[in-house]
Amino acid sequence: MDHFARLGLPAALDIETAALDRAYFALQRQWHPDRFVAKPPEERARASVEAAALNDAYRTLKDPLSRAVYFAGIKGVELPGDGKTIDDPELLMEAMEAREELHEAASVDAVEALATKARDEARKAMAGLDGLFLANDKPAIRTALLRLRYLDKFAEEARARRMNIERSKA
Amino acid sequence: MAYSEKLIDHYENPRNIGSLDKNAEDVGTGLVGAPACGDVMKLQIKVGPDGLIEDAKFKTFGCGSAIASSSLVTEWVKGKTVDEAETIKNTDIARHLALPPVKIHCSVLAEDAIKAAIADYRAKAKKEEPKEAAE
Repeated sequence: MDHFARLGLPAALDIETAALDRAYFALQRQWHPDRFVAKPPEERARASVEAAALNDAYRTLKDPLSRAVYFAGIKGVELPGDGKTIDDPELLMEAMEAREELHEAASVDAVEALATKARDEARKAMAGLDGLFLANDKPAIRTALLRLRYLDKFAEEARARRMNIERSKA
Repeated sequence: MAYSEKLIDHYENPRNIGSLDKNAEDVGTGLVGAPACGDVMKLQIKVGPDGLIEDAKFKTFGCGSAIASSSLVTEWVKGKTVDEAETIKNTDIARHLALPPVKIHCSVLAEDAIKAAIADYRAKAKKEEPKEAAE
């Protein structure tokens, strides 16, 4: 059963987060270990497997990027996993230059400006995904998702950089 | 998690951080990335007229193990021929730095980076040849 089916939602790039939350909390109650305390061991074991799968599904679908990556997987677009390098010079050049700029940013304002730019880029790339899925353009979906991963990482690094700058001033 | 002294040393005192002119004919540049963790690594070699790697530089934005792996590789390749440098294996890097299993992929990244740098250098050298022959 895929994550969407587990939560009773149609498999799609965009989902209604309120519906996701509702489905999750209802199922979580259904499989809660407290309800299985007095049940035979097989049933208890099944409930704990279901609860774990449910949590995994919810975590994956809640975040828009991880949901997009998962949805792409269902559609047959595989992304390189751990320990795999990518050969996309353009993306790597962009990522390298962005990280260099961030490394050199000396003020909170400078970091914020870079973070805002990255957020805009991510929003644009996210908005473009729909059309790529409609066209079933797998290479373009793959490129866009890899780029989104790098932009996501950039946002994380920008937060860390900002904290560093603030701390050194305090 | 306990990291080895060698790893910490490379992380705290990385060797050969910097950049070489990527447009120079005797410089090979390898740019690789691990999308799963968002790391990006640049490794460059400068090959002398005698065919030996006379300089190597790196720039890595990633975790400590990725920085240490690329730092170690720049140190190892200096003074080697391109062919010798190509034989560096990620397992050698991982063993030398005693990388924990979850960080093995950082050494894979470093091996891919040196291979990419060598490929770039060779591609440039090949392009050079016919030009010289025509002159």
